[in-house]
Amino acid sequence: MTTMQHEFTADRQVERKRAWSNWATGMLFLLPSLLLFGVFLFYPMVRTVYLSLFLTDSQGVPIVFVGWENFLNLFQSTSFQISAKATALFVLYTVPAGIVLATALAILANQKLRGIGLFRTMFSATMGMSVAASSVIWMFLFNPSIGLFNRILAALNISGVQWLLDPQYALLSVSIATIWMNTGFAFLILLGGLQNIDQSLYESARIAGVSESCKLRKITLPMLSPTLFFVTTVSLINAFQTFGQIDLLTKGGPMESTNVIVYSIYKDAFINYNVGSASAQAVLLFVTVLVVTVLQFKIGERKVHYQ
Amino acid sequence: MKKLWIGSTAMALLLAACTSETEEAVQTTDATAAPAEDTGKTEVVFWHAMSGELETALNTLVDDFNASQEEYEVEPVFQGTYEEALTKLNTVAGTDESPAMMQVFEVGTKFMIDSGHIQPVQDFIDEEGFDTSIWEENITNYYSVDGVQYSMPFNSSTPVLIYNKDAFEAAGLDPEKSPMTYSELKEAAAALTEGEQKGFSILNYGWFFEELVAAQGGLFVDAENGREGQATEAVFNGEEGLNVFNLIKDMHDEGTFYNSGQNWDDMRAAFQSGATAMILDSSAGVKGMIDNAPFEVGVGYLPVPDDAERNGVIIGGASLWMADDIEAEQKQGAWEFMKYASSAEAQAQWHVDTGYFAINPAAYEEQIVVDQWAEYPQLKVTVDQLKETQANAATGGALISVFPEARQRVVNAMESLYQGADPQEALDQAAEETNRALEVDAAKNGN
Repeated sequence: MTTMQHEFTADRQVERKRAWSNWATGMLFLLPSLLLFGVFLFYPMVRTVYLSLFLTDSQGVPIVFVGWENFLNLFQSTSFQISAKATALFVLYTVPAGIVLATALAILANQKLRGIGLFRTMFSATMGMSVAASSVIWMFLFNPSIGLFNRILAALNISGVQWLLDPQYALLSVSIATIWMNTGFAFLILLGGLQNIDQSLYESARIAGVSESCKLRKITLPMLSPTLFFVTTVSLINAFQTFGQIDLLTKGGPMESTNVIVYSIYKDAFINYNVGSASAQAVLLFVTVLVVTVLQFKIGERKVHYQ
Repeated sequence: MKKLWIGSTAMALLLAACTSETEEAVQTTDATAAPAEDTGKTEVVFWHAMSGELETALNTLVDDFNASQEEYEVEPVFQGTYEEALTKLNTVAGTDESPAMMQVFEVGTKFMIDSGHIQPVQDFIDEEGFDTSIWEENITNYYSVDGVQYSMPFNSSTPVLIYNKDAFEAAGLDPEKSPMTYSELKEAAAALTEGEQKGFSILNYGWFFEELVAAQGGLFVDAENGREGQATEAVFNGEEGLNVFNLIKDMHDEGTFYNSGQNWDDMRAAFQSGATAMILDSSAGVKGMIDNAPFEVGVGYLPVPDDAERNGVIIGGASLWMADDIEAEQKQGAWEFMKYASSAEAQAQWHVDTGYFAINPAAYEEQIVVDQWAEYPQLKVTVDQLKETQANAATGGALISVFPEARQRVVNAMESLYQGADPQEALDQAAEETNRALEVDAAKNGN
């Protein structure tokens, strides 16, 4: 009895030792990425949460501990509510429209035609443009006095629109510019996804005499779904984190109608030097993006068809 | 698919890490550049926010200084807009990376004093018996606090009314007479509004509001604009502020006001393309406007309400600050440059090149300025307006460290006017939000 017990413990010890050495080896492989993530991701994250509980001086050094006060102030502030609403609307305006547009263009550009390369280049061209350069182009297009859009409206005898100056239109205008900017990336990924679809499926469908729209619904979209899922996830996260075009086109105005959350964080941290309040907003943004992404994986991924 | 996602995130992170590192590297080389060691000169790093033509003019000034003596080598480094440069300074202030000299915009004055990392130039003024009375009084008035000159005035500007003379003539107005009061302004705007052309526009920018309030002698915050002690409350929602808001509101309702947003270039484009016949602009923009507009440009004083006494304008622009935690030699070098930059010749060249004021009125006697004024008589108007300014708490300008935030609140209130908000309510809300910012600021400083 005792010997058996003894053997058993020895076994477990060996097993534990092996498990430990396995774990250590695994960790060794993970070390470079853990180190990178630790320095550039985990440490800043922990630090952000820490700072969100303080009032800081202008250099970001915490000086007064205030607990949840930064968060409470945010929830009571109308500015923050407007900002949250603007962010939600911005995501709603840009993500679905951008993906539908990119999918449509990708399907069009997936034909085997002469000169299709030209169209593929054109549709993906915006990927090669920086946010700054694109924003400047759109700034000129939107300009109420010399911009192209208002000239077209004037030629049609419609009175001009204050694209970026009217709180009613500003967010929509920035969204239009953003959709244009993001289409290139989504288009390219989706086109790649389309080209990966096994051609024999289409051949079988043709033999079976299936209609084009049926092919689209039953073959193309399901086979494209992993790519679509990826593009949606990345676009969503991107949309939540939009900054450049807001800074260049509207600076969060007019009347804070385009003051999306990342811009609001920037303003609080780097113009008003309220690092505590900015950190609190960053924490809230992180939680929101996390929840949205988890929900997407839980709900959205069920509809994804992996081959 | 998950793998791809994680992979790309990691890539993005790596890229981000690389970029920030290279940026740092570039800055370090800038801050500790080598040439000084070769020549045996003391290196004085100078951060500034002048871009485009202004940067060219500034570099010329620095080159002239470097060539004028053997001991110091000033190295100018462009650091983005005033706000961006201040943010960058904030990250290095008090360390070895800190520049010896820094250009900071006027509303950053209180912020710099509170930062605790600066060396007031008053010490050098006292030591050398430097005569500050050669400076424009209003400029000294702004940058000295409790009798201490903290920074050296450098590039100064004020707001002016700019108008389209051709449009004035077409509307049957006297092109040589700019509107001086609110009712004259309204009448002119009504006459000028025709078809696509509106009468008047103010950029949605806090500075213009502050100036219009000060022009009537109104204060921005309590404690005599924060100059008699720590300001605790915004008072710009009083009678003077309401006058300004009522003006905008009335003109907007009458359809004679053009909303040009928050972007200076958009406002100038609106003026040059004839979308609006009058604007408020910085005196530093006058010359460019005269050169670029396809019509005759007139320049006038800031209008005031009919029954208000004209107090004048607050000085805008920026001044030069000296860091505290640097070697004595570098401080001396920075001081020598500041003296050089404020000399009559340097200021005359600077005024001619940029349109900023000469902080040293003797510069206006220099031949290049006389020639320039003969060609652009409008420039003289900007100088006269400053000369006629009364030195008091209102035109001295407010001294608060939360200025950027206060400006955002005011801009927000201005924008809400175009959506039909009540002027008094909009102002009260902006004042209340500014009070909160002042309160948080006080809590930080342990008051």
